[in-house]
Amino acid sequence: MLLDRPAAAAAFPFRIIIMKRRQFIMLGVATGSVLALGLTAVPVLTASPQQQQDSAVLVLDALLPALLQGALPADAVARQAALRRSRDAVLQFLAFLPQSQQQQLRQLFVLLETDLSRLALTGHWLSLNELPIALRLQLLHAWRDSYLTVLQQAYAGLKELLFAAYYGQPQHWQPLSYQPPEFNPYV
Amino acid sequence: MYDPIRTGIANGWQHLDASTFAGDQQFSADVVIIGSGAGGGIAAELLSDAGFKVLLLEHGALHSSSDFRQQERWAYPQLYQDGAGRKTADQAIGILQGRTVGGSTTVNWTTSIRTPAPTLQYWREQFGVDFSGEHSLDPYFDLAAGRLNINKWALPPNANNHVLQRGCEALGWQHTVISRNVNGCANLGYCGMGCPINAKQSMLVSCIPAAMAKGAVLISRISARQFSWRGDRVDALWAVPVDQYFQADPRLKIKITARHYIVAGGAINSPALLLRSQVPNPSSRLGRHTHLHPSAISGALFNESIAGHSGAPQSIYSDQFVWPDDERIGFKLEVPPLHPVLMATKLTGTARAHADLMKQFNQLQVVIALLRDGFHPQAAGGAVQLDAHDEPVLDYPLTDYLWDGVRRAYLAMAELQFAAGANAVLPIHSDAELYRSWQQAKAAIATLPLQRYRATLASAHVMGGCNMSADPLQGVVATDGRHHQLKNLSVFDGSVLPTSLGANPQLTIYALSWKFTEQLIKNLSI
Repeated sequence: MLLDRPAAAAAFPFRIIIMKRRQFIMLGVATGSVLALGLTAVPVLTASPQQQQDSAVLVLDALLPALLQGALPADAVARQAALRRSRDAVLQFLAFLPQSQQQQLRQLFVLLETDLSRLALTGHWLSLNELPIALRLQLLHAWRDSYLTVLQQAYAGLKELLFAAYYGQPQHWQPLSYQPPEFNPYV
Repeated sequence: MYDPIRTGIANGWQHLDASTFAGDQQFSADVVIIGSGAGGGIAAELLSDAGFKVLLLEHGALHSSSDFRQQERWAYPQLYQDGAGRKTADQAIGILQGRTVGGSTTVNWTTSIRTPAPTLQYWREQFGVDFSGEHSLDPYFDLAAGRLNINKWALPPNANNHVLQRGCEALGWQHTVISRNVNGCANLGYCGMGCPINAKQSMLVSCIPAAMAKGAVLISRISARQFSWRGDRVDALWAVPVDQYFQADPRLKIKITARHYIVAGGAINSPALLLRSQVPNPSSRLGRHTHLHPSAISGALFNESIAGHSGAPQSIYSDQFVWPDDERIGFKLEVPPLHPVLMATKLTGTARAHADLMKQFNQLQVVIALLRDGFHPQAAGGAVQLDAHDEPVLDYPLTDYLWDGVRRAYLAMAELQFAAGANAVLPIHSDAELYRSWQQAKAAIATLPLQRYRATLASAHVMGGCNMSADPLQGVVATDGRHHQLKNLSVFDGSVLPTSLGANPQLTIYALSWKFTEQLIKNLSI
């Protein structure tokens, strides 16, 4: 018994490492193949503006609750309102970005809502919104720690957009005790 | 509240909004100025004063004190380049640049610093750009200081700046009280969203109104696309309106002819206009050697309230590390204003870790270290290129030399913040944690992997890309801002700087534009 314990303790983290590595390799290989085959452009080229918009909404609705854990209000109604406000703010802001950055983001949203490319980008067959919140966050972290520049950029770009959208809204400032002067009301 | 712009326009100043044009347009003037920031604003006033018919073009909109909302969600898309989302090509450095009438002067933090002597010396030695003796910029610094009410900030620094001051005092480090271009400043802290009380003496409330009162015509929401030129002269400038998102809208053409053309669109857009125009470029330096003062960031938690959103954003700087004795890169220490979006987007971490820091918003103090790029072969700056839409992207390589500066900057900032009484220090880097002591921070910073995206880097100063030089093979413009090859073309903005400055650039640009414009008036009057 005394001998077993250290062995079990040693085996457990080992398994975790293997799983993580396998997932990581799969993510990397699949993403690499998709990029190498030039599949990335295909779904975006065939997606209508409405499909692009729908993809953006689905992806944002899946990622916002993960990224904003701990910041969102506890009350369910307030929480939904905060999420919707943030998603709408992202969608409204996109048009101000340079065309090239807009294209990159549209591409990312469509790829994440297309089965094969989503498998490549996330390592999952399931839609983002079908994944548990913890896995969505893990996915963002995997992008951050990926060796692929496009995934690192996707993480950094989405994080900035989503946090800007949330913390830009006065309704979300109460925990910050932030109250700017108002010379001209925002309408 | 009195709004000098709305009042002036009601009294007959001429402002045209190109996005409202119904068909192709033609304009002519003595001098057309492309860009209404620090360089363009000064030139507009002096030329109008001298009796020249001036046309002043601005990509952004005309917003003034009655429009400015003290909210980032309004200010960033309306007043900043790319909605404050401008980035280097690989997206590793965020770039804050104004895009509104008054350019970056409308949204900057008012810090006014003369060009450092070692920078001027380097330009003299390396580029034959001589601003010593009878060519000194000193009289022009004085003129700008008088015109824009630049004075040492007389009130106590806000808590965010006070930490920088206290840390420097505790460690015996050099520090200076900053001079600011303000008149009747209420110490609000919202300079970055446009001054709501017209206290900041930006181009928007000083030189541009003076020029318009003398008959200068302002066209806003217009994007200058290309010069047509032949031999050694520009024939015309071609422009288009922009849409409600400030994207170039090629549905109609605007042709502008003038005796002289001044490019003052900032150090990314000015080189881009000249690249699109394929102007002669024998030095191969057009759009090259673009410097950013790439800045590393360090946060710290204090017991006391810092409330970094309140009070003059910058009132103290430290030059302790800006001119080191060895070859390593120097950095200037300052603090930024802290508003929710700026802070939330720069902070590392996600979910609860990020939310917990945001809940300590008013206890968070932030120092930035501006790396003095451009003085070493390993800090030769970036290159402006045109993308598939003919819009500029800045490719800025991050070298080991720069990363060494980032590490030393993290160390200096952490040491300073602990010396000023911080409970914890957090270098803004995705592998850093809240460190509880200087010893712990020192050990951890020594091993942080310094790579793009992991270290949050930002820039508010874009310089170079059309550098001045005595020799036409060493630069794009001469030491009076005139293009080396095209006689009736000048560049009057931060893109003429041969290196970064090691100081905030607005006062250098005011002085250079003033000097260049005086010379141009003499030449045009012959």
